[in-house]
Amino acid sequence: MADYERRNNGYRGGGGGRKRRYRDDDDYDRRPQRRKYEEPLFVQVRRQLLTIAESAVRRVEDDIVGIAKSVAEHYEDEELRDTFINISLDLVREQPMKIPFVAAITLVTHNLKPELGAEVLKKAGGLLQKYIDTGAWREVKLLVRFLGCLQAMFEGDGVFPLLEEFFARAVDLQTASSEDLLGLELVKIILFTIPYVMSSPATGFETQASALLDKTDIIASTPHALVDLVNTFSPDENKEAAGPSVISLMQTQLQAEAGRGWELKCLPRPWKSVQESNEDESKPFEVASKIPFPEINVPNPVLHGSHPLFPEVYLSVYADQDINTVPPTSDITSSLLREVLVDTINLLDFNRVATAKYLIDIDCYFTPHTFVKRATTFDRMRDLAGEGQSWKPEDVAVDAVFSQLYQLPTPEHKLVYYHSVLTECCKIAPAAIAPSLGRAIRYLYNNLQTMDLELSNRFLDWFAHHLSNFGFTWKWSEWIDDLELPAVHPRMAFINGALDKEIRLSFAQRIKGTLPEPYIPLITEGKEKDTPEFKYLSESKSSFFTNIASRKSHLTTWKVTPYSKEGQELNQLIRKKAGDDEIQPVIAAIEEQAQDLGVEDPKVPSTDAFVTSICFAGSKSLSHVLSCIERNKERLLAIGPASQAARCQIITSVMEYWTDQPGIAINIIDKLLNYTILSPLSVLEWALSENMAAGTILAKPHIFEMISATVGKVTNRMRQIVTARTQPGIYEPQLSILDETLSRERADMQSLFRFIEDAIVSVAAGSNDEQMERGDGSGDLPEDAIIRQWGRRWLRVFRRKAGVEESFINGALVNATPVGTVAPQQDTPATEDGDVQIEDADNQ
Amino acid sequence: MSLLPIKTVDRLDRPSAYYAGKNKRRRDDRDIEREEETNKRLEGATTLYVGNLSFYTTEEQIHELFSKCGEIKRLVMGLDRFNKTPCGFCFVEYYTHQDALDCLKYVGGTKLDERIIRADLDTGFEEGRQYGRGKSGGQVRDEYREEYDPGRGGYGRAYDEQRQREDEEYGQGR
Repeated sequence: MADYERRNNGYRGGGGGRKRRYRDDDDYDRRPQRRKYEEPLFVQVRRQLLTIAESAVRRVEDDIVGIAKSVAEHYEDEELRDTFINISLDLVREQPMKIPFVAAITLVTHNLKPELGAEVLKKAGGLLQKYIDTGAWREVKLLVRFLGCLQAMFEGDGVFPLLEEFFARAVDLQTASSEDLLGLELVKIILFTIPYVMSSPATGFETQASALLDKTDIIASTPHALVDLVNTFSPDENKEAAGPSVISLMQTQLQAEAGRGWELKCLPRPWKSVQESNEDESKPFEVASKIPFPEINVPNPVLHGSHPLFPEVYLSVYADQDINTVPPTSDITSSLLREVLVDTINLLDFNRVATAKYLIDIDCYFTPHTFVKRATTFDRMRDLAGEGQSWKPEDVAVDAVFSQLYQLPTPEHKLVYYHSVLTECCKIAPAAIAPSLGRAIRYLYNNLQTMDLELSNRFLDWFAHHLSNFGFTWKWSEWIDDLELPAVHPRMAFINGALDKEIRLSFAQRIKGTLPEPYIPLITEGKEKDTPEFKYLSESKSSFFTNIASRKSHLTTWKVTPYSKEGQELNQLIRKKAGDDEIQPVIAAIEEQAQDLGVEDPKVPSTDAFVTSICFAGSKSLSHVLSCIERNKERLLAIGPASQAARCQIITSVMEYWTDQPGIAINIIDKLLNYTILSPLSVLEWALSENMAAGTILAKPHIFEMISATVGKVTNRMRQIVTARTQPGIYEPQLSILDETLSRERADMQSLFRFIEDAIVSVAAGSNDEQMERGDGSGDLPEDAIIRQWGRRWLRVFRRKAGVEESFINGALVNATPVGTVAPQQDTPATEDGDVQIEDADNQ
Repeated sequence: MSLLPIKTVDRLDRPSAYYAGKNKRRRDDRDIEREEETNKRLEGATTLYVGNLSFYTTEEQIHELFSKCGEIKRLVMGLDRFNKTPCGFCFVEYYTHQDALDCLKYVGGTKLDERIIRADLDTGFEEGRQYGRGKSGGQVRDEYREEYDPGRGGYGRAYDEQRQREDEEYGQGR
């Protein structure tokens, strides 16, 4: 523990904790006084630079001037010079909120010592060139922004020719293909550079900016074909809530801002205050000696880079409040804040504590009236609403994290990173953040019906995980009315799913204790049992169980417990780790009996008894069940190929045994897939054809989870194969082998997606057989519309997934070595066997 | 993935001081060598040591949380050497090094079963390491703990014994 504290507090490299905010201060005061020592100047400057603008108490312009003077006066100190240049550019790339401040330091330094300014630019230019050459477009954007802030330093048009060149490349890319996304990325760089140039001390660039904006309009404002697919809300379900794309929004906002004389009121102008602190207030900041813009070569065509690109959509979880706590999309502040917060979050994933701190400190990095005081309550915001409105910093910060958590198709980092950022924010400023989260949760909950299904499941997962970090406290009372809704209603599905996930992270009794009375029936008796009952043990109970099972499985109805003697025997044998020779006779006995009873497929009851026994014998823990499976692997492996019905029965038995704890069930299914005891297709068949239950199964969050995980396994494997196929240095004969594997697996993957499509499309259309048979067949039951909507939402998720995977494969194969390429020289130690690694993935 | 060497903020996915400080009494050249050696052994590590768990936390709970960072290859519960019951730690093995690093960054220091857990990069599980090394079978830290921790068997065992002895003696003295 002590370890963590130490690590987490050190978010600011290079020691020194002169800050006195939040939890830091307790620690600091108690520490014994150290012997005083003179720290070297470069250490001091390093610290000042790293913490620039972080203090709400110090005047940032004093620090700017202080740093500039130190480095200019000690220009001959090489260590200091290097520290200054390197840290400045590190900050540009890692903490983009500080770019205007770092730029201000550079400007002041340049005026004091032009040689130093030139050196910063030289280094920045070199880095920029490297990032352009490798296609690291976010880093390009940040460095160009830095240069944009320095516009006043340059001769001639400064950064504009480079932006024009980006635009020319974007046009080429867009003309070549309407599906192009790289061009959009370049336009994004242009759009998010302009405001920083216009808020810099440079003057007289209005014409250039407007001219550029006129040009980008056509690209930025034309919606990309994929925008609808990655929208938080499908426009078909909720046209109003479906947000605009980030660049189209920015384009409109910039045009409005141009008409307003580039007010850009949230962006800080620290150079301005530097000037004001001198005597002559009216004098604009002037750069004494101008220098040429670094020479940058933009290759043609530009490179794609390693990041998969998708259009981004602007989402705000505070969109439908009666008063605005975050800037509305009509205000450019919304885009400017969001963009820089999102980069901060994604760049600092290696230290969630630092990320959270910068989010909480967001008001330090923008003009003073951008935000209201921290922890201003929502009700107080109501009083403050109106002219010259300021925004609630916590809401703006939380909004940005959610925009990433709900990024489609996938955010840059694992979802749990964004969970952890919200957790840390809550830890740093609980009183301020918790109410903001509460309102975000309400927005998401209220919009569950029309939200993309993948996202409503992310919401579910985050919600339960978040609560698990804060004692499972939530105001459940406010959703009590919704408990009247039918089980298939998205809200009921959410409540049930959230409680299940909470229990998975804790235990039923604990969760029960956090709930108001009306929720108690949702925590059934079965959920509180560590070991579910073994149906072959008790005769009366088991007939009840099989009756339920027989509705779906191929059993006929039974009056007494069937095969109970054999079931118990199997359980005993599995427990005492008996060999297959002892198990076989019992299985045979069941199948014989079944035959006599006229069961269509005798393998079904024998599989049921066998798998249920494994579940029961292994119920103590995951490792127990895994070792039971491991020991009986051969028999289990033989079931699948022998009978389709028995294959299905494996899943049924697991799901039924763990019916009250579906998390355990789907975990076991997952392991059975790894053992290849089950095939991905058999899992899909089980859910989407055998147990579709008129589409009602689509309302179960754990089924979505299971299907997503299964499909994810297939696509991951596919990606591994693609990576193997496209890695450089692979030659024949491996090349052909890999290519064949790829084609085969790709076809399998496609048929998997086709299966999902075919199974669900009828539910979405309301033409599923079982669905038609329900009620009077009119399809007008109140639940029918809900089920059709589930169908549409499922389709959207898996169609997108299919599209994303196809485009990944196509994109990767563009640059792959063509089949038939022979190694240039025989003695090259070719990367051994191309497919070794993939084989491993199989036996996971 | 990123081209950036990180400089402005510390990383959370470094091995903790535990490995570096292991067996260290006085800092000399050999220590530095040893430190480099362990760091090398942790390169590409896919296993995490997870500590400060409650004795009641189950494999399933651990699985549920830790699989958020990637598929889990193996999960080994730490057991009391004598009772073979969970004693508050475990090893989580992932398929990839990146998943293990992500886990350090995103899960280490957060709560599981309402306790802040600690995660540390580990050189890999070996048979025998699943048992507590304390005198009475559990983890060493549970021997001498003076605070009452209901999730980890109350007071430290050695401490508790001493307390009880004192209590008895007190009674006898009267």
